[in-house]
Amino acid sequence: MNVFTKPSVSLAFNYDSRMALRRKWLTVSGFIAIAAAATMLSAFSGASTSQGFSPVQPVRFPHPLHVQTLKMNCLYCHFSANKSPDPGMPAVATCMGCHALVATNKPEIKKLAAYWNKKQPVPWVRMHKVPEYVHFPHMSHVNAGVSCQTCHGPVQNMNQVYQYSSLNMGWCVSCHIGQSNPPFKARYDCAACHY
Amino acid sequence: MSSEETESKGIKRRDFLKVVGGGVAVAASIGCESDRVEKLIPYLVSPDNTVPGVSTYYATTCRGCAAACGLIAETRDGRTTKLEGNPDHPVNRGALCATGQAELQALYNPDRYRSPMIRKNGKLVAAKWDEALKLFSQKLGETRSRGGAANAVFINQHESGSFPAFLDQWLTDFGMPAHISYDAGVDTEAIAAHTAAYGVAWPRFDFNATQLVISFGADFLDGWGPSVPQQLDWSDARAKLVGAPRLVFVGARRSLTGLNADTWIDCKPGTEVSVARALSGEMSVAAAAQACGVDATRLQAVVDEYKAAKPALVLAGGHVAGAAQLLAAASALNHSNGAMGTAIRPDQALLGYEGIAAPAQLRAAVARMNSGAVSLLMVRGANPAYSMPKSTGFAQAMLKVPFKVSFSSIMDDTSELCDLILPDHHSLEQWGDAEPVRGTLSLQQPTMDPVFDSLATSDVLIRIAKGDPATAAKYAMPDYQSWLLARVPGGSAGMAAALPKGIVAGSALARTAARPALPAIAQVPDIATTSGDLYLYVYHHPVLRDGRGANKPWLQELPDPVTKLTWQTVVEMHPLTARKMGLDNSDLVVVTTSAGKLVAPVYLYLGIRQDTVAIAAGRGHVNAGRYAKAGENAFDLVPLAENAAGGIALVNTRATVVKAGGSMLLATTEGSARQHLRDIARAIPVAELNGGAAHKEEPEEEHFQGDASHEFLPGLRSPVATDAQGDFGDPTSKDKGMYDPNHWSNMAKRRWAMTIDLARCTGCAACVTACYAENNIPTVGADWQAAQILPDRTGFGANITRSREMAWIRLERYYEGGEDGSADFETRFIPMMCQHCGNAPCEPVCPVYATYHAPDGLNVQVYNRCVGTRYCSNNCPYKVRYFNWFGYGEPHRPQYAFPEPLNWQLNPDVTVRGKGVMEKCSMCVQRIRGAEHRAKLEDRPLRPDEFTTACAEACPSRAITFGDAADESWSVTRLIKDERAYHVFEELNTFTAVVYLKKVNHPSPAAEPANA
Repeated sequence: MNVFTKPSVSLAFNYDSRMALRRKWLTVSGFIAIAAAATMLSAFSGASTSQGFSPVQPVRFPHPLHVQTLKMNCLYCHFSANKSPDPGMPAVATCMGCHALVATNKPEIKKLAAYWNKKQPVPWVRMHKVPEYVHFPHMSHVNAGVSCQTCHGPVQNMNQVYQYSSLNMGWCVSCHIGQSNPPFKARYDCAACHY
Repeated sequence: MSSEETESKGIKRRDFLKVVGGGVAVAASIGCESDRVEKLIPYLVSPDNTVPGVSTYYATTCRGCAAACGLIAETRDGRTTKLEGNPDHPVNRGALCATGQAELQALYNPDRYRSPMIRKNGKLVAAKWDEALKLFSQKLGETRSRGGAANAVFINQHESGSFPAFLDQWLTDFGMPAHISYDAGVDTEAIAAHTAAYGVAWPRFDFNATQLVISFGADFLDGWGPSVPQQLDWSDARAKLVGAPRLVFVGARRSLTGLNADTWIDCKPGTEVSVARALSGEMSVAAAAQACGVDATRLQAVVDEYKAAKPALVLAGGHVAGAAQLLAAASALNHSNGAMGTAIRPDQALLGYEGIAAPAQLRAAVARMNSGAVSLLMVRGANPAYSMPKSTGFAQAMLKVPFKVSFSSIMDDTSELCDLILPDHHSLEQWGDAEPVRGTLSLQQPTMDPVFDSLATSDVLIRIAKGDPATAAKYAMPDYQSWLLARVPGGSAGMAAALPKGIVAGSALARTAARPALPAIAQVPDIATTSGDLYLYVYHHPVLRDGRGANKPWLQELPDPVTKLTWQTVVEMHPLTARKMGLDNSDLVVVTTSAGKLVAPVYLYLGIRQDTVAIAAGRGHVNAGRYAKAGENAFDLVPLAENAAGGIALVNTRATVVKAGGSMLLATTEGSARQHLRDIARAIPVAELNGGAAHKEEPEEEHFQGDASHEFLPGLRSPVATDAQGDFGDPTSKDKGMYDPNHWSNMAKRRWAMTIDLARCTGCAACVTACYAENNIPTVGADWQAAQILPDRTGFGANITRSREMAWIRLERYYEGGEDGSADFETRFIPMMCQHCGNAPCEPVCPVYATYHAPDGLNVQVYNRCVGTRYCSNNCPYKVRYFNWFGYGEPHRPQYAFPEPLNWQLNPDVTVRGKGVMEKCSMCVQRIRGAEHRAKLEDRPLRPDEFTTACAEACPSRAITFGDAADESWSVTRLIKDERAYHVFEELNTFTAVVYLKKVNHPSPAAEPANA
């Protein structure tokens, strides 16, 4: 059948309804596309946050026991936080310095000792990570008097550590421009961190 | 129907929320999933004296060439990431050439042997060390029991130090003759001539003590001998400006040294000796000019100048035919003109060049291999199957040897012909020593644990000797390190004290084993009688050298300092010759000699005689890994000919050059070789210098704030940046934020800046490689990195033909004069990188504020803001911004530039850029931040000249100075006020932070009266 012989009225009607339908579905799919684009952008820009992330670690390390009961300083284990961009994860030897003798019969310490005996490092699950294009020097913050808890939260109370802060740029900047409590001030130039 | 009508009016709010809500949910879930679970792996036991995230610096010795320069290897968390010159080292005094820096890419080369290999059924298969050593031991035993030990051959890549003597001792213990210390990259003839005339293989040339340097094809700035100390001395001499030595270059092709020369005498290949005789007066100028094919007036001027200049230094390179007479004549000139003892200092000889075997020794070994006498061949480090021209038949002779052992750590043309591979550690993984100058030991220590399952050859020798009852007692030391320790004065305590500086007084163990006499020389035919239309000038590529650099992508992509070509082999031809033959750039030609033929594109080069074509050797390996395949092998064209000392005469024949039809786009990084009146690289005749007096301000010039030609104001900034910053973006605000010099952050008190002295710069391009190493710049020219959609843009260098190179700093080379094709042209080199404009054209056009002006004067590129519009690059008058067309930094993409383990070298302080992002010189902002952090940690202000950029650190001519232009105590501020200072494109009011000091021209004294 030849479509060109169709009456014009019918064509006009069809045109209207088709346009309406098309407009609706264009809008919907448009929003979906925008949402997807935003999703992709946020996912790849690192702007999404894993705040609250609290993975189960290969060895359950109770910070409250070590910090509150035993009064150990953060820098005992995270030994380079005040002298390096990298805070330092304790070597297994540091753990075994005490646990060769202390609490050796506890199941978690047995796990630790097993790693030590196999000469394998403990594969801790990483929680705090800023994207690769951000340079975060721990020592500058620690030496400026920013307490560990300012960013990492009350680690001394965490039996299983979770990510306390969002680590998003807005969160960084709020502190750098002096809007934190207690107030700190630091350069807020882009190239202070991004290079 | 009705409901449909209602909906058709548009989307309902509830639908909108549903859709958007769904989108958010998806976003949230993807957001969580995108957090790849990473592990934090601690040390098992923390190593002493290292802090994670903080670099450790080890002093060691470079083995890139025979010179044995001192290195400082920066090592972070167990991986060496950067090599720099050791400032305490007597040879390189803190500078380092491109070849030396690229040793990192040998260390992390993806084509390294990952374990020992044994040939089984014709194929090399991986093996365990026990099995491989057992096989080696067994073959050694078989050779000895059959009486073949005396005919075994051991070829070692020449190195200075105690290892050669140790190796000879070991060979003697196993009844084998002394090893052949082979180095194809050195000038054997020059070494023989130096030894005969001055008593040492390579004296130090003190250019400061001369008024005139005449170089007969000796590329002393780039590859002829130890280029780093020679460049340092040359630049220091030239930096005197008034009274600096003039340089005359004699040769058929202008090399880098030739382009730096003030006068070029373009003599025919093989006739250089006539010029030398004209200088000495043995030959009349007219006769010499006739013989050499040069203009008699020009030659007369040089002869007159030579007679007036005392002392004058004459250097001569030995790769041309008839080099023996030339070198003898040059030595005689030096003895007669007062250069000996003043400009030539045998007392400060570079001992790394002593004891190198002539290639003729290898050819003699080829004869023995061909006769079937050699039953065991061992090769370590050297690659003679490539670097000995095919006409010597080395590779074919190798196949006649029943058992061949290679100690090469990287796959190369020679090792791939061997039956057993016992991979050596890279020099950055093992112990050793060198004696670069008399009485000083340069120590070599491992800077990191071995990358692969390799073993130092020295330790292999010890293990083998321990397994043999006859030698076990003699080799009681646990390993080579302990043997070496016992040799260092003071033992292990002495070693520990010396290692931080890398040098200690002492001398290496001398080689005493009898070495074979020089065999009969394969004579050089008279070049004039060979058949062909054009002289063929084959030379070692300046950075790939004898081919050893070809497996390193940094060096392949580094534009040749002279031709600016990458990844390709080209036939250099004079434009007038090409016009006569109907050829143009990139037309393919066939070059044929009696030894072989080669097809390559034509490159028009002004610095070559009209009757000569030149081809650089060093590319076109058959079996040396993924990168070394690029280009063609020019050694294939060289007929067998040796000079008097047994060195290969690379220039010994004429060639037939015919049009092949078709073309191949040139992988060049050059835009134009002419300045087109843009005055980018400026020069000033020495006579017009003011004696170094400060630049006088011209009174009629308008002076306004931020006029960078006169001063560097603290906080100099572009108007855009100021507007955007005030009160966090309120344009009406009077608050200038951090751009206010009185702001508490103190950022705007500084203005990071740089000066580049063009009177010092030789154009060697060591800065370019330093920048690649420091800033994680990807190489883009490998064949698999090109998009395979354009048939004429495939293969090696394809991305470069589309101008996609990423070099943040490039060396531009401009010609002045010579438009008519004459030899009388001047060359100016100018390193060009982001000028960090105070009023940057790139900044206002960025729609997303990804590039902006930092308060301390840097033009910053924020990668995570960049969306890749490339507007900034379009608007940059200096064309120094580079775009990531592909995911060169993304491991899952085919264009990835750092195949494992090359990525181990990446600088952890610098972001690896992804696809679609613009990048450019950051003035090593990571070093600025690092120094600021370090100063803060030590609770002190930054010290003047405390740190510098990677390019300035490496520069062997000390042309680059970096610092704070707003602080008088930094030396850069003094240089900015020099009378020669200028800004490129000053008329655009860009107020650049990079200040160039004009090149100083030294016209011939004969030309001076005409000018005055």
